[in-house]
Amino acid sequence: MNAGERLTDANFPAHPEKATLEGKNKFLGFWLFLGGETVLFATLFGTYLGLRNMHLDGPTGEELFKLPLVFLATMLLLTSSLTSVYAVLSLKQNKVRSLQGWFLVTLLLGLGFLGLEIYEFNHYVHEGHTFTSSAFGSAFYTLVGFHGAHVAFGCLWITTLIFRNWNRGISLYNAPKYYLFALYWHFVDVVWVFIFTVVYLMGKVG
Amino acid sequence: MADQHKTPETNVHRHEAVQRKLALKEERKHHNVSFIMMILLTIVAFYAIWSDKISDSFAVLFILTLAVVQVFFQLYVWMHLNHKGHDFPIWGMATGILVAAVTVASLMGMIWTS
Repeated sequence: MNAGERLTDANFPAHPEKATLEGKNKFLGFWLFLGGETVLFATLFGTYLGLRNMHLDGPTGEELFKLPLVFLATMLLLTSSLTSVYAVLSLKQNKVRSLQGWFLVTLLLGLGFLGLEIYEFNHYVHEGHTFTSSAFGSAFYTLVGFHGAHVAFGCLWITTLIFRNWNRGISLYNAPKYYLFALYWHFVDVVWVFIFTVVYLMGKVG
Repeated sequence: MADQHKTPETNVHRHEAVQRKLALKEERKHHNVSFIMMILLTIVAFYAIWSDKISDSFAVLFILTLAVVQVFFQLYVWMHLNHKGHDFPIWGMATGILVAAVTVASLMGMIWTS
């Protein structure tokens, strides 16, 4: 069978994302990539933890951070992680419209998160907390900004994936692509769990 | 003759389809429970800091533990590490997390001592 062929309910495998060699390779390779990303974010977290009290005469984290805003951003990202897992359930049931719908909701929630982050950074810059204002500023924007860039990249990824495959059913060719995006999106949420804990909540207790 | 061959085969197919449907239903339930758990963990973490009722050093340890639990839910339930055929991914992530922990500890140590 051609991998690009639309699957039917009768020939749908239990794990369409791993039914071809290419799919298996992508699956394994992507998990190893996530292991590497964990280390990459660890370097940024380590640097931030070392430098977070070196704010010169700029504002401290305790003065800057607004917990209600961070809480809202957390809820948006957490819910988007749930909707992407719903999309994967639709994938396993060969329901392509429902898959597209859940991924679109994921995209909207991701964009909402980005909007909040842009608003937040803009607000901080007006308070005198910039990338060059102190070591705390550099470490903060590198860590949180790098995560934001991951969210932005994810939004771009899912947009292209949804619209490229808009009129196509689920096939052995595109099933791994959808599946990997969901893994990526969960990972971005995993990193955010540590950011809200280490940067914002720990920033409040000094 | 043809009918005799066909009937058991479609029965097997139907049986498998029902099994798969039940498994997915179960999975959806796990996802929903894990979502509620994560929301609760997040609220508890924010409340622990917000309310200012817990001593700072204990609060830090407490919210870090909550973060680790929440990440465990993400990895095992939502990213399906609890499913079969995830041995290599688990090794990959475990190695990544180990190196990550060493990296964080050593970077913090280097900056603090200088």
